Amino acid sequence: MSANAGAPEAIANLLDYRAQTPEVADRFRKLKERPVILEVRGLVKDFAVRDGGTTRALDNVSFRAHRREIMCVIGPSGCGKSTVARILAGLEDATAGEVLLDGKQVHGPGPDRGMVFQGYTLFPWLTVTKNVMFGLELSGEHSSATAEEEARAWIQLVGLHKFADAYPHQLSGGMKQRVAIARALAPRPRILLMDEPFGALDAQTRAQMQSYLLQIWKQVDVTIIFITHDLDEAVYLADRILVLDAHPGRVRELMEVAVPRPRTPEQFVSPTFMAARGHLQELIHPPAAQAQDRIPMIRMTVVGDDVE
Amino acid sequence: MAAGRRDWLRPFGELPPRRRLTLGALAFLLPIGLWCLVSYVPFIWHPMIKVTDPGDVDWMSRDQTVEGDAFRTENQAVVARGGHVARGLPTNPVFLPAPHEVLRALVTGFTTSPARPDEPWLHEALLHSIGIIFWGFLISSLIGVPLGILCGALPSMARLTEPFIEFFRYLPAPAFGALAVAVLGINDAPKIAIIFIGTFFQQVLVVANTTRRLDPALLEAAQTLGAKPRQLLWRVVVPGIITDLFSDQRVLLGWAWTYLIVAELIGVSSGITFFINQQAKYRAYDRVFASIILIGLIGLFTDVILASIGRQIFPWARTARAGWFSQAMQMFKRRERPIPAAAVSTEITGEATTTVSASEVVS
Repeated sequence: MSANAGAPEAIANLLDYRAQTPEVADRFRKLKERPVILEVRGLVKDFAVRDGGTTRALDNVSFRAHRREIMCVIGPSGCGKSTVARILAGLEDATAGEVLLDGKQVHGPGPDRGMVFQGYTLFPWLTVTKNVMFGLELSGEHSSATAEEEARAWIQLVGLHKFADAYPHQLSGGMKQRVAIARALAPRPRILLMDEPFGALDAQTRAQMQSYLLQIWKQVDVTIIFITHDLDEAVYLADRILVLDAHPGRVRELMEVAVPRPRTPEQFVSPTFMAARGHLQELIHPPAAQAQDRIPMIRMTVVGDDVE
Repeated sequence: MAAGRRDWLRPFGELPPRRRLTLGALAFLLPIGLWCLVSYVPFIWHPMIKVTDPGDVDWMSRDQTVEGDAFRTENQAVVARGGHVARGLPTNPVFLPAPHEVLRALVTGFTTSPARPDEPWLHEALLHSIGIIFWGFLISSLIGVPLGILCGALPSMARLTEPFIEFFRYLPAPAFGALAVAVLGINDAPKIAIIFIGTFFQQVLVVANTTRRLDPALLEAAQTLGAKPRQLLWRVVVPGIITDLFSDQRVLLGWAWTYLIVAELIGVSSGITFFINQQAKYRAYDRVFASIILIGLIGLFTDVILASIGRQIFPWARTARAGWFSQAMQMFKRRERPIPAAAVSTEITGEATTTVSASEVVS
């Protein structure tokens, strides 16, 4: 542990982030007894660079996610966490390694892996209902009447039934992402990939969306892989947090979050929360790196004209 | 007016609706005003003299239009001989009729029978021209739009066709006139072919570029929802570009019109081009002007109609490049009844309104 005198670190020193209450330990034991939905083995991703060589974005990334787990993937910028999500979704090919869903290898994108993107990707030409029906109609398994009925149920789940016939441009950012979640969940994917889905939202809306997501997750049989760079978000949402290193992206740690469920915003200041957050902070922004954060600057004001 | 003087010159600044309307009206009123000035103010231009009394000049007669210089030289000669001077009023050359004459020609154009029995009436000429445009543009669109979408969506298709199309579009359509006549005869077919050649190659490239501008994130989202390539094309690409495609088609239709006059000169001259040429032969320049203005009015009218159709069939497109006319119409509509949209929008922007419903779901 560092000798930093910052408040979170001070508490983190008092409490080990690994310390779990019996209830939490029991919950993790049960969680790991659940079937493995997603298994990632030895994922490697090389990108071609301009001079003809390659640069390694992901190096030997392996992990397993169990049924109805929320796993957050976090890491400094450049650790390839978005690339992980895109490979899992099938939008990019891995250079090496394999992705197993329910024990079967996956190739290319498919409705068994839903995705919510950071940008707004609702189809602007479709109403909220039609957007949510999109995946249901593609499969050809549903008549359009049952698809619509099912879509309405999903819209109800995300609390937007009043806006079922609105077009995306009439919705706020938070509402758009709720529709995007409903749309991704409607075809009943085995896992829901979320690539910094609340990154573009303001702080208040983001907090609201996080609690919505937890509420939705409780109602649905889905395993969530949630990519984020926000430490609080990761601790608040996750059962376990996959911490990645940067350049190249490697698994640093798979951390169990000892904060008990159900989660509430009040827990943000609880010792367990602070301990978990402090540990993440340590991993992602080590004190040595923080020391370098102070960049040398020239003074642009008159001497004596101080604000601090 | 609330907006300051500085607002006029702010790049990309927003215009208040009233100013939009005023400027839009001025866009037409200014050139018409200029035309009125030149036509009705005697000391502006008016290089000719219309003779009211030939006096003692042998070769002049009443109502004859004479060059101003010639008129004055003759009168000096007459004065030197001691005869009666000729009198006349300054006037413009016959090829610049005054606005009221053109307006009269516009109104009477459709009721005036042709000078010769084998010539078309004005409306017949116009309809014939519209027919040429319609078929040329339709055939071009039937092939060009699907091909353009395919080129935009499939790099292999683009690579196979676009280099040649890039080359071909530089060949001026009228250059194919003689060839078109040799292959297709002298009637309407070669004219339609020229419109086609003039439109098609641009159309493929424009539509392909519009297709490429589609947000790739929408394609990715659709794929994660299980869309296969064919479904991507029909359910994402086509609806995703349709509003821009519609705007492209409006611009391209304007292009097709610019090829009309050249096209109609090929083979047996026909349509509005033949009509204009005949009127020029008869020196009926008021009717020449009227015909040209009619072409412009038809183009503008078509565009306004298409724009309003666009807004009807694409309700998600908030601002489908609205023209001045439709904007004016909307302003009047807004004044008539309060829009329910305003009531909706306040509800939509408030995240708080939906918090209740979300908690209902969970409990």
